[in-house]
Amino acid sequence: MSATPSVPAPKPPREFSPAFFGTVCSLPFFLLMLFGFVAPLLCVVWFGFMPAKTFALLQMPTFANYETIFNQTYFKSILWSIGLATVTVLTLLVICYPLAFGMAKIFRGGASFITYAIATSLFVSENIRLFGWVIGFMKNGVVGGTLAKVFDVQIDSLLYNIPVIILGMVYVYLPFMLFPLVLGLKMVPDQVREAAFDLGASRWQVFKKIDLPLSMPGVLIGSLLVFVLSVGAISEAKILGGQKVVTIASDIESEFTYAQNWPLGSALSTLFIALTTVVVFFALGRFDLEKLLGKKRSE
Amino acid sequence: MIVTRTQKAGFSLYAGLVLLVFYFPLLCIIVASLSKRRFFSFPYPMADMTTKWYADALQSPQVADFIGVSLRIAALTAFFSVVIGFFSALAYARYRWRGRQTFQRLVLFPLFFPQSVLGLALLMWFSFLHITPAWWTAVIAHTVWITPITTLIISIQAYGQDDSLEEAARDMGATRLQILLRITVPLLLPGMITATCFAVLLSWGNFALSLFTTGADSSLPEWLYARMTTGYQPLVPAVGVISVVGAVILVVVLFTVVAWNQRRARRLTAATE
Amino acid sequence: MVESAAPILEVVSITNRFAKFTAVNDVSFAVREGEFFTLVGPSGSGKTTLLRMLVGMEKPTTGELRLRGKVINDLPPNLRPTCMVFQSLALFPHMTVGKNVEFPLSIRGQSSGECRTRAWELLKLLHLDPHRYYDKNVSQCSGGERQRVALARALAYDPEILFFDEPLSAIDARLRKVLQKELKDLQRSTGKTFCYVTHSLEEAMVMSDRVAILRAGVIEQIGTPDEIYGAPRNAFVAEFMGEVNLLPITGLGGTAATWDTGRKVIPLTLPAPLAAGTARKLLIRPESLRFLRAGESAGNSVPVRILNEFSLGSRIQYHVEVASDCTLTVQRLREERTAATEAVLGWELADSQILET
Repeated sequence: MSATPSVPAPKPPREFSPAFFGTVCSLPFFLLMLFGFVAPLLCVVWFGFMPAKTFALLQMPTFANYETIFNQTYFKSILWSIGLATVTVLTLLVICYPLAFGMAKIFRGGASFITYAIATSLFVSENIRLFGWVIGFMKNGVVGGTLAKVFDVQIDSLLYNIPVIILGMVYVYLPFMLFPLVLGLKMVPDQVREAAFDLGASRWQVFKKIDLPLSMPGVLIGSLLVFVLSVGAISEAKILGGQKVVTIASDIESEFTYAQNWPLGSALSTLFIALTTVVVFFALGRFDLEKLLGKKRSE
Repeated sequence: MIVTRTQKAGFSLYAGLVLLVFYFPLLCIIVASLSKRRFFSFPYPMADMTTKWYADALQSPQVADFIGVSLRIAALTAFFSVVIGFFSALAYARYRWRGRQTFQRLVLFPLFFPQSVLGLALLMWFSFLHITPAWWTAVIAHTVWITPITTLIISIQAYGQDDSLEEAARDMGATRLQILLRITVPLLLPGMITATCFAVLLSWGNFALSLFTTGADSSLPEWLYARMTTGYQPLVPAVGVISVVGAVILVVVLFTVVAWNQRRARRLTAATE
Repeated sequence: MVESAAPILEVVSITNRFAKFTAVNDVSFAVREGEFFTLVGPSGSGKTTLLRMLVGMEKPTTGELRLRGKVINDLPPNLRPTCMVFQSLALFPHMTVGKNVEFPLSIRGQSSGECRTRAWELLKLLHLDPHRYYDKNVSQCSGGERQRVALARALAYDPEILFFDEPLSAIDARLRKVLQKELKDLQRSTGKTFCYVTHSLEEAMVMSDRVAILRAGVIEQIGTPDEIYGAPRNAFVAEFMGEVNLLPITGLGGTAATWDTGRKVIPLTLPAPLAAGTARKLLIRPESLRFLRAGESAGNSVPVRILNEFSLGSRIQYHVEVASDCTLTVQRLREERTAATEAVLGWELADSQILET
């Protein structure tokens, strides 16, 4: 991602061509990204090769940090992150597909209500929303208190375990799965579904042979988004999980804060960046976002 | 396709259930913010219900400070990300140029990037440049993350716009600058308003980037996080609810703008037919 | 033709209402075994809703659908032995031509060998070389090819009735003519019942054994193309058929009547008696009108001014003015071309026809 596309040389300004204009228009964005995205990331990558516990950037590069990572238990937190993210993606696919189907194909006015109801949550800091679960699930919290009062069942805190971390991630990243799925399902033409039905396919066959393959772009985008976001998740494990599970993101954070070992944190970040880059490029290379957006226009 | 009543009812029931679970934490927060006790337990007697914490939150100069920081960051972020997003939307959707496809892919990259890592990277970069992080460095961080989103929103509007309008204006002798100011900006305005709302809201709720880039200053989500983990008091959920209400009001504004825009678009198409 | 054939599909006073809007209002007709039946009407006439009820995509609010005497109102489309070719064709974009055609067969659980053999037969039947097209992606096919693929797919289902929802509307005029003829040939050779929906009466006339004309959810006229052309039941049907002259007339008793052009009232003789004071429309086709030579007489004659002439190939069309703001259309062979600006227009009584409005 550090490769900026080659900017073509501007043609003589006598006649401003669209090509020239397009290049000029993209310049502010490129400058912003160069300063605020590419340079910091290069900085991180470079810092990963510095000797441990230093704060200076101009020293002999070394692989010592990477050796530390693979010799110690850091790879465990990487595996935890990937595992949690995978479970989150699969859970969300199961939860969101029927809802997205309803929104794209069945509800009329209700669909935009659900859209707004869910989208609103995107603008509420995820800390606040996760904290709501804490209040709900803590000892004598909303759930426990209600059970004690109504059914006379005493339960301990439901917090600080792995399922609740997954619940938190599923909850926070639900919109990122739902909306791509809705878009993907909207791209399945109604007449194509009807034709399959008319040609003798049962509802299940229509789902398997028409809906699922044709909404695949949405499924892919949603899964990708959720995977990348939840692999970098930090608050869910901290707020809901206590210290039960250490994810790579919180490992990185603690290297930068408590341990004050910036080079090691940088090396971890570099690995992490490499991981997400591979996933994103692999997935984004496979379909055309312009087509998705362009299709949206014709609706 | 015929959808039977039972099927429709089943899907509606399911959607209702998902929404209920989805809003459960917010209900919990509201419940907690109304409890008088320092330590929350549920259910609490009606006598313990109070709105004292809201009054406290609204009067607390400390909270006002955090809100001020958050608002400042949100306002500046919205301004920069919409201005840059406007031009990149033109590059994204309007003009054919070499590298456009690469550009379209790269635009998305910061979005897919874990924010905590981006925040840390910026922190190191600023320290390398000997810049002391403060609220305005958070503006840079937020802008980097939000500009791709504003670009996409304005691009959608730009896609819907008729190419021939600009060509017609050009045909009548308008210069590129005149076309930009008199044709392109007014036509993309609704998209820019929507993008502004999005930028404000996303910046307002952002925690992961702010955590590393605000330095000695502290935004509202950061303060809430700190008080959630240590030193809880019902003031925390009360401030949380206030922040949510602020966001909801902005969403309603957004909704009105979108609805107005659609009505206008329909009127325009009706007029041309 | 197939006059004597038994009805395969009976539609008995079927109605479809959404909220307050009645799309189809108490429509009854029967489609006969092996015929080419066409429903034709302008957009908004309810023809698509009617068709969707016939295939089972919508449910009638009231009324009955009978297939070979059995009520099929509640049978979903996947269980009905009928099949539709959609306006958009609804080809499966993620499958090749071959897989599209095989779809209904594979749904039924036939072996892939059987599917393939049948798909090859059908592609050949529709003049698509299977060697070239079987593995081709549907998005790479041209409009006409896609049309044939959709038809092959529908035939693979082996339906008792094949429905068509204006599948030719997006195709250019020349290719459309070719495909119309092919469709008719296909219907003859397969002996299947075709039920076609279109907004173009011309298209309906070319292909159909019988035509039903719909307006605002009601059938205006039903009959063979000859019957409809020869005796349109009302002004709507007559105008729907193309350019005709419809003169507003008022009976004076007997065969005498007046034609009110707005500025001028012209006396006319009618082909049949009309009660005094009754308002009707008089239909005269453009080709029935002719310019009278000096001394020549006709059943009716009016002096006119020639405004414009348009060439239609072997024919010439004239716009003539009877009085200001009242024009008629005349069509003559090229050999009878006239250069005059003032003329006397005439027509024989038998060539005019009184219509209900």
